Amino acid sequence: MVAVTGAALTPFNRRKDGSSFRDWSFDAFRAAFEMSGLELRDIDLLVIASESDFFTLQINPASVLACDFGLAGVSTMRVEGGGASGQLAVHAGVQAIRARQARHVAVVGVDPSASQLPAEQVKMLYSNSFDAWTDGMTGVSSTALYALSCQAFMARTSVTEDHLNAVTTANRDNATRNPRAHLKLQHKAADFEDSPFIASPYRRLHCSPLSDGSAAIILSHANFLPVERKTVPRIAGIGSASDHMHLGSRADPGRFASKKIAMKRAARQAGVTPDAIGLAEVYDAYAGAQLQTLEALGLSDDPAHDLDSGTFSRDGRCPVNLSGGMMGQGAPVGAIGVGQTATCALLLEGRIEPEIQLSSPPQYAVADTHGGVCTTSAVTILKQPEAA
Amino acid sequence: MIEKSLTLEYRLPAGWLKPWVDGLLAGRAIGRSCTGCKNVSFAPVRVCECGSTNGSWIELPGTASIVHRTDGLDGSFALAKFDGAQTNCVVRLNNFPTDATRGRLAAADAGVPAIVLAGLKQDEAS
Repeated sequence: MVAVTGAALTPFNRRKDGSSFRDWSFDAFRAAFEMSGLELRDIDLLVIASESDFFTLQINPASVLACDFGLAGVSTMRVEGGGASGQLAVHAGVQAIRARQARHVAVVGVDPSASQLPAEQVKMLYSNSFDAWTDGMTGVSSTALYALSCQAFMARTSVTEDHLNAVTTANRDNATRNPRAHLKLQHKAADFEDSPFIASPYRRLHCSPLSDGSAAIILSHANFLPVERKTVPRIAGIGSASDHMHLGSRADPGRFASKKIAMKRAARQAGVTPDAIGLAEVYDAYAGAQLQTLEALGLSDDPAHDLDSGTFSRDGRCPVNLSGGMMGQGAPVGAIGVGQTATCALLLEGRIEPEIQLSSPPQYAVADTHGGVCTTSAVTILKQPEAA
Repeated sequence: MIEKSLTLEYRLPAGWLKPWVDGLLAGRAIGRSCTGCKNVSFAPVRVCECGSTNGSWIELPGTASIVHRTDGLDGSFALAKFDGAQTNCVVRLNNFPTDATRGRLAAADAGVPAIVLAGLKQDEAS
């Protein structure tokens, strides 16, 4: 069994203070490491998640950061799976411990998605997340591809533009309680009418921002926990899967099929069904993607109805994106999945900022990340230690 | 602050997709027909859903129907089904009326392969 002995996130925003991704990574790692109660010599493996060398302009960032962290000598690797990079890095750490190749693993996600390059160049780089020989030949943007997927989803379900506005409003409202969040906004209906379409049905407000930031967790084998960290949350199950990269090759382009498979695998490992999940941090690159995700994870058979009835609100059956999600908290790509898992662990343990903390944390939480238009999915289920 | 500029000029071989890429350059829709199940994919799929890797290249009429369409500041794009194919294909829409549902693959410009759909004239669409 793998435990989360340390977890931390830096602010996600657009840095204007002259700091670099190496500084944010250091801050996130040190905060998670100090929570863990471990010594530096206890760390066997450092896993770095970063989506693209074009963001950091640093090939082999894992070795650079290992030196910065005082970890020269440990095993290092960098994990990349598009937007899913962070969650896949978590999985790499879990697998190393399960395979008894490591007792303690540091997983750090980072990307300078906002301040190092002009937004148009970042957007151009993101367009390479898709098959360059098919979808890429259209010059299609990430937003337009997600929009086509969302249109197929909306045609099949009762989700309307009002629901896209509601998701956006809820996530940004959650972000107002998160001192580390990028977009702490309280939207009014008129804000959406004034927001231009980037790719219908997506208006600018329905899109997550480009952010800088880092997140870190320390994973430990449950047999080797420091005395003061015996009762920390456990990783109950992990699962990943892939789908046709080319949207047109999918049987239903509006359905996040790889996520459904990933969740099934993670739930099987955890020995639970989706209705056991009482907290979710999900990949809301766009407002509709959150609803497509909730359907695919099995957290809702009717996302429109459940959104309307408050199922996913702070006091609902399964609060979603209390951090603000990508739309509110921000979206430094490599840090997203690590940050989601860190957020779930901190919430389960009762150690996140008081403004975000639930008074009665649930037994199980899910952290969900994907890359492409849900081409690569990675899902992690966490649980309270007493649920072990 | 460290200022750096990076200019890269890639030369991407088309590989097994050469017939598809050459077709796009010429404005011809070249799909992949599975020898096993006869499924036709456009964009081409290397391993068919039936598991077969055996296939042949076939020329499609080049006309397509819009399945889903998106418009906005990022441009106009659609998921379209090309006549003769069983899969859909993402296309860029060029001079495509908002009420039109049928189009034809346009020839690439500037020697760069592209998947662009132009609206059909009234007599072609009917």
